Amino acid sequence: MTAIPPTPRPAGVAFVAACAILAILPPVLQLSPYAHNLMTLAFIMIAGALAWNWMGGFVGQVSFGHAAMFGIGGFVAGRLVLSLHLPAPVCWVGGAVVAGLFALGAHPMLRLRGPYFSIATIGVGEASRLVFTYWERFTGGASGLSLPIDGDLKYQLYWWALALAALVAAASVVIRRSRFGLALLAIKADADAAADVGISATFYQDLIFVLSGAAVGLSGGLYASYFSFIEPGDMFGFDRSIGFVLMAVIGGVGTSLGPILGAVVFVLVRTYLLASYPQLYLGLYGFLLILVILFEPLGLTGLYRRVLRWSRQAKPAPGAASP
Amino acid sequence: MARVFDMIVSAVLLAGLYAMMAYGLGLIYGVLRVVNLAHGGVIMAGAYLGFWLHERFGIDPYLCLPLVALASFVLGVALYHGLVRRLPRGAAGGPASLLLLFGVWLVLRNIAYVVFTGNDQTIRTAYSSSSVAILGAHVSVNRLVVLGIAVLIAVAMHLLLRHTQVGRAIRAVAQNADSCTLAGMDVHRIYALSFGIGTALAGIAGVLLATIFSFNPSSGSSELLKSFVVVVLGGLGSISGVALAALIVATVEVFAILILPSYLTTAVGFLLLVGVLVLRPGGLFGQRVLA
Repeated sequence: MTAIPPTPRPAGVAFVAACAILAILPPVLQLSPYAHNLMTLAFIMIAGALAWNWMGGFVGQVSFGHAAMFGIGGFVAGRLVLSLHLPAPVCWVGGAVVAGLFALGAHPMLRLRGPYFSIATIGVGEASRLVFTYWERFTGGASGLSLPIDGDLKYQLYWWALALAALVAAASVVIRRSRFGLALLAIKADADAAADVGISATFYQDLIFVLSGAAVGLSGGLYASYFSFIEPGDMFGFDRSIGFVLMAVIGGVGTSLGPILGAVVFVLVRTYLLASYPQLYLGLYGFLLILVILFEPLGLTGLYRRVLRWSRQAKPAPGAASP
Repeated sequence: MARVFDMIVSAVLLAGLYAMMAYGLGLIYGVLRVVNLAHGGVIMAGAYLGFWLHERFGIDPYLCLPLVALASFVLGVALYHGLVRRLPRGAAGGPASLLLLFGVWLVLRNIAYVVFTGNDQTIRTAYSSSSVAILGAHVSVNRLVVLGIAVLIAVAMHLLLRHTQVGRAIRAVAQNADSCTLAGMDVHRIYALSFGIGTALAGIAGVLLATIFSFNPSSGSSELLKSFVVVVLGGLGSISGVALAALIVATVEVFAILILPSYLTTAVGFLLLVGVLVLRPGGLFGQRVLA
């Protein structure tokens, strides 16, 4: 098994610095509302991609159904706003809790591994899309739900989303380096061998799936507030689930940096391609996915590490024999 | 009583459709142990190819089946040699092959968008809406043909796998590829051939589906899921198992209308999938699918 590198202190410092800079960016740079909103969306997606990665990267259980938790988080939060008029953050947490419970309901599926798990998640994702589309009293059916538009909240959402992304990113690193993270890695490598040394694959997978579901649900809640209009076909859609997979895998599956890079690139590319070539973006991502799997399994992160290695090799001894 | 008979007839017809969709996925999994996530995409591509041949050259959809099969076969062989072959096989290659073929699906989907736009299409022929009466039940001609072709292909696959040298080679590789390599067989050729045949079957399924349902570039996920239910239920890699499982799935879905609102019957298929995977992970014939 690959050893986990010790925490490089500069990374922690850089992380805090990056969060601080991002936090003061809007007033300092006088960001346009467009850029402001785009970054908010990127933060929400970063949180979702990182949370997907807990399941897909840390445990190696590739889920094509995370849209179910995203949608549940969004719609529960939306319903709470509409019927109980609670403050938005309370509603988001409510949505996250329900999404986490839904993930716990997937307990029987966690016995499945590899492709069987993946296909079962497509089934659950599509089934929940159908059920929630037809559950009109809760989701408004195909016409969706409109939330009250709140300009202040939409502006503040930038910091809420940044906080969420930072929280999920920090949690990724902490989980990865903890005993819990090691247990997940052991399950990923060989569930049977892990069981032999007392690591219950079921228990740890349940735990990480609930956490992942809750975090994705939370980002769904923020997304609902961000758009003020949500409909089941979009929130629960297969394309939404695909999005999480693509962001994490293209960025670098299993790493904590990868999903962040992937989500930023995804949001940017999607926004620009959707504007000019609405149908091209999924094909481009499919092509990238093929390239990543064949040539650079760690995606953008792997590319970044490669560049880092080259620059280090190039520096010290120009005359030394290269491998 | 007449209603029950009608339902049995429609269950059998639906079973033909489901079996047709599932053969390719089952064959590829059975031989290569790779879940072809591009399956739904190939079905969609086959539908568009049939549609294009029909619209552009006026070829009857049933006559263009050999052309589509050939084109899909070439696509499958190319996919195998170009992509699938480069992956590690077995458990290590699981997520990688899944994601890779998923990428292929996205690309196929995108090509269809660019070439044919996102509009719903269907293959309309002079006999599209004609039906025949069988013992009082009205049966669409198209569905009947699909059932016939599904049975024909089951027989052909059985003969191919059981009674030809190539079929024996395919079965040998499915059982133990390492021994085959030792015995001097070109395993990659057999893999490429199986992937090609599986893809060709998916392409044929696409044309047949297009004569009955409308489709668009995003179609394919429900076909993939349905195929997967059938293949898993039938025990992976068994043609007769696939046919039997198709009958079971179709019967359950048709009779679910009696107790469920009609829009939820599609969800029944998905729940059946999860239920089968969780409760009978070995399929009806007891193969182990848990890695």
